[in-house]
Amino acid sequence: MEHSQPIYRKNLSLIISFMVLITISLLIAILLAYNFTKKYVENEFAADKVEVFERTIQPYTNFFQQGIPEVSYYHGYLDSASADSYARRLIARYAFIEKVIFYDTEVSNWPISDGIKAGYFSVQPKAIYQIGPGVRKGAQVIFSSKNPNTLSLKTADEFNKMAIKLNKYVESADTTQAPSPDETFATFYGIDANKISYLNVPRKEELAMFKKLMLVKQAKSPVFEKDMFTFYLNPKRLRLVNTRPELYQQLKIVPLVFEPLSTEGEQLTTEIALPGAFSGYKLHFSSSPAFLKTEIYHRFLPIFGAILLIYAFLLLIAYLIYRNLFINQQLFKLQYDFINNLTHEFKTPLSVIKVAGNNIGSSSNLSIAERKRYATILDQEVEKLNTLMNKLLSFTQLENKSITWKAERIVLADFCSAITHAFLLDKPGFLLNIDIKGVTEIQSDPILLSSIFNNLMDNAYKYSPPDRQELAIEIKKEGAYILFLFKDKGIGMTKSDAKHIFKKFYRIENQYNQHGSVGLGLAFCKELVNFMKGDITVKSQPGKGSTFIVSIPYTH
Amino acid sequence: MIRIVKQFFFFSLFAGLFACSGGGAARQIPIEDFFKNPEKTAFKLSPDGQYIAYLQPYKNRLNIHVRKLDEQKTLRLSSGLDRNISNFYWANNEQILYLKDSDGDENRRLYAVNKDGSQTRLLIPDTKVRVRIISADALPNNEVLLALNKRDSTIFDAYRLNIVTGVLKLVAKNTGTITDWMADAKGQLRLAMSNDGVNETILYRTTEAQSFKTLFTTNFKSSVRPIGFCPEKDCLYALSNRGRDKTALVEIDCRTGKEIRVIFNTGNVDVSDAEYSTLHQKIRYATYTTWKSQRVFLDEESKRIFADLSKKLPATEIRLSSTNAEEDKWIIRTFTDKNPGAFYLYHVKTKKLSQLAVINTAIKPMELCAMKAVSYTAADGQPLQGYLTLPQGKSPKNLPLVVLPHGGPGARNTWTYNAEVQFLANRGYAVFQVNYRGSTGYGKKFWTAGFKQWGKRSQHDITDGVHWLIKQGIVDPKRVGIYGFSFGGYSALWGLCFEPNLYACGASYSGLSNLFSYLKDIPPYYKPYRLMYEEMVGNPEADADYFRQVSPIFHTENIVAPLLVAQGARDSRVNITETDQLVKQLRKRGISVTYLVKQKEGHLFRNEENRLDFYRHLEVFLAKHLQN
Repeated sequence: MEHSQPIYRKNLSLIISFMVLITISLLIAILLAYNFTKKYVENEFAADKVEVFERTIQPYTNFFQQGIPEVSYYHGYLDSASADSYARRLIARYAFIEKVIFYDTEVSNWPISDGIKAGYFSVQPKAIYQIGPGVRKGAQVIFSSKNPNTLSLKTADEFNKMAIKLNKYVESADTTQAPSPDETFATFYGIDANKISYLNVPRKEELAMFKKLMLVKQAKSPVFEKDMFTFYLNPKRLRLVNTRPELYQQLKIVPLVFEPLSTEGEQLTTEIALPGAFSGYKLHFSSSPAFLKTEIYHRFLPIFGAILLIYAFLLLIAYLIYRNLFINQQLFKLQYDFINNLTHEFKTPLSVIKVAGNNIGSSSNLSIAERKRYATILDQEVEKLNTLMNKLLSFTQLENKSITWKAERIVLADFCSAITHAFLLDKPGFLLNIDIKGVTEIQSDPILLSSIFNNLMDNAYKYSPPDRQELAIEIKKEGAYILFLFKDKGIGMTKSDAKHIFKKFYRIENQYNQHGSVGLGLAFCKELVNFMKGDITVKSQPGKGSTFIVSIPYTH
Repeated sequence: MIRIVKQFFFFSLFAGLFACSGGGAARQIPIEDFFKNPEKTAFKLSPDGQYIAYLQPYKNRLNIHVRKLDEQKTLRLSSGLDRNISNFYWANNEQILYLKDSDGDENRRLYAVNKDGSQTRLLIPDTKVRVRIISADALPNNEVLLALNKRDSTIFDAYRLNIVTGVLKLVAKNTGTITDWMADAKGQLRLAMSNDGVNETILYRTTEAQSFKTLFTTNFKSSVRPIGFCPEKDCLYALSNRGRDKTALVEIDCRTGKEIRVIFNTGNVDVSDAEYSTLHQKIRYATYTTWKSQRVFLDEESKRIFADLSKKLPATEIRLSSTNAEEDKWIIRTFTDKNPGAFYLYHVKTKKLSQLAVINTAIKPMELCAMKAVSYTAADGQPLQGYLTLPQGKSPKNLPLVVLPHGGPGARNTWTYNAEVQFLANRGYAVFQVNYRGSTGYGKKFWTAGFKQWGKRSQHDITDGVHWLIKQGIVDPKRVGIYGFSFGGYSALWGLCFEPNLYACGASYSGLSNLFSYLKDIPPYYKPYRLMYEEMVGNPEADADYFRQVSPIFHTENIVAPLLVAQGARDSRVNITETDQLVKQLRKRGISVTYLVKQKEGHLFRNEENRLDFYRHLEVFLAKHLQN
């Protein structure tokens, strides 16, 4: 007992330090996880704008890469009607197109009144049409070459720019091959703030003819048809696609020079410039910290839960380890006590034997009475030792299931009177009362049964104060079982003790068992009863007495 | 133990393979065997009948070889390494003329060579001049008749060139619209065909001393093709459908331009050709194509000769390929649907027949598949003819199908050996060809019924045919592919765009994708031609909506099936930038596109290695998407 306590404390401190450690880990993990989540959300806020940008700008990209070059597929064959249907198709599809100007263009070496002429090469709008919302079905003519010299510089501005580019290109073009992508972009596209002009790309053969028209004086050439369009675009009409509504509270298309002036506290913002014709604008993203915090918590919650789960798991493991340690500790204590007690048990008869031996040895002559007394003493003490050894042995046998069951016919009245008679021989003051109800004989092993009787009677005797030395044994049949009730008026025990008394080496510490108790008796009884496929229980009140009830299957 | 199990596994695997091939499916004939250059072809007798010249591959390109008729020793006369030589002429008994381009520049120039291989010479050294041959066989006075654009690069005048002295004389000036010339048996230039794009005029003169007089003018929808002059003065044999639906063989009075008589007419189909004997100045026979080519004899000698030939060469088609000047030695060619055939020499007098060469020795007719003529009715009631070739060793049920629409569209499929068809059938596909509306050979009405019907009736005829085959249970509706060249490629692209549920995949070989581009290729200088095309295809301005509606390039978003596209970078008919654009748009949408570009090729891949590479890709592509 004195040795076990420090070990016990050491375990507890280990457990406690472990608990402290994992609790600290828990706190750190929660803190780190929160910070990481926060950083992550902030990073996403900055990075995922590209996704929103790409989705928002997708229609523009389609328009630019497919819608516009489609003009070239017509190879100059568009007229007001087909250009109108082409442009209206685009307007219906792309909301950001405000209006479309179509320049039905002629290229020749003829003298012209409107348009651009370089060398002998003239580029003239045959007619200019406006197509778009607000213009009723059919293109509205804003210029026609039937009315020469009526083309205003304002109307012709885009046309002139593109025609000059075409002139420049034709002048220096390598006509053995079609225009390269670089040349195509530089010559046949005109990208300005909120508008794109496009002139259909001539084929290699056409280009060679154009070059000849420009550089060589020839008779009146045929007229080559070309198509040019100017698309007026409105970036504000781009449909904003917020693919991350949880990150971006507000999306706006604002002029490139726009700087947000916060009126509602600090705002998180990021931006990305729009391409091409929209380059004067940018996509502006903003979110309030509180808005982002919601998202952070939203994401942190499952992580938090997971950490808690891990923590709970660790706690469970800690508890299980603690419990194992505790049980081992108890076992250790019980064994220690057992050896202690066993030593006492052995020591007492041994010291008596020693004293008797000494007395016999030192006395010169012993009277017959003295010799008899010593013999009796020696015999008694050896018998005590023998009983002790037998008890230990049979218990071990029982635990190892190495005893055998020999069922015999037992007449209960005879059995009881024999066993109580022997028991009461040296206990003259003990009051023992036997009551057998409704059963006369059973089939069982008499040796095992008598062991149980002896143990329980011993206990009743041992744990009764001198003035209440009495035991009532009641035997009765109940269903398929036969019950043996041992009712004493001894010291009794608490409920918590009652739970443990059938365990090996368990002893209740009190004045009645200072000597001669090993804590094996009841455990042995329980083993025996279990062996006989029965059960043993106890009902007890401290200070009043206990009732042990043994029930074994009834056979006869 | 594991080892044993493994071996057993492999064994059973192989056993399985053999079981498959033993179970009836035909041997896979290598692609090379179908599409390699012919081993020997284009046999031609020298005018005296002593020598024989032919084309044979040299370093993978067809070149001219010559040998004495009764000797085996051959001599190679040309060494074209860039392109196959496609045609040559016996100018006289000693010299051969041929056209060859250099460095694949597509400008074929005229060469002459002696039959002993000496004195190869370039006859028109000016590199800017393009040469068209009017007549180059058996030349009187060693003078070849050529059309050259010497005076004006857009106009070809007729010249007479002495191939020995090199003296070049102008024979007739082109008034601007003459597209073709014809000489009589004595080498006198007597006919000129002029075309203003819509109307075709035939001009005639009795002698070279006179000037050309207009015989008659026809709209381009009618055609008059001169065959040769009659023995009588001022009389011409011609194939004509002027004033009738089906082309007939007629005699025309060259003084009035009127038809004297109809020599032969079928009433069902066009007369497709007539064999003219230069020696006797008469027509030996006329041919017409029902489901296969038929012949009607107009001359007793020819009838006798063909009867003898048919007896000696039973169950095969026979074509006259070339004769000597005396026309008593014939070179004939045989073929069937399963056999590319052979060349034979026939002595008319002795009736002796000897084989000269087999065109393709690698092909075993037993392994090839029969081409069966089929007919069905289009949804609007028009009867249509086509051909169905079924793979060997498979029951005609639930087969994978390759629809193979012909190009043109002014052309037709006929019953003959077709390497493409046989290749596809050998790979296990049923192959379906159809003479849709707009095809030639069935008369003027049938041909013009395809005008402005691209993407409409012409295509619907093909679709109807596929549905008809599916209904018969021959074809697995889930495994139908469409492949074609040029207009056939357009049909494939159109099919994927507008019949997306019908086709599991499509392959376009130089397929048109944009009708605007097709019309754009007619330069404004030839404005008249535009009118003809506008009538056939449509007016790009007035019919812009129709053009857009049927041009696949505007509708790539409809395409869902995998596509194979083959394109020659130098193709002047199908613009590579547009094909690039088409492929880009499809790939952007995640559609699987196999894109094959051959840098040095034009509309049709001429070089063997490019041709083989294309068919290898086609094989893999079809196998992936049509075989299970």
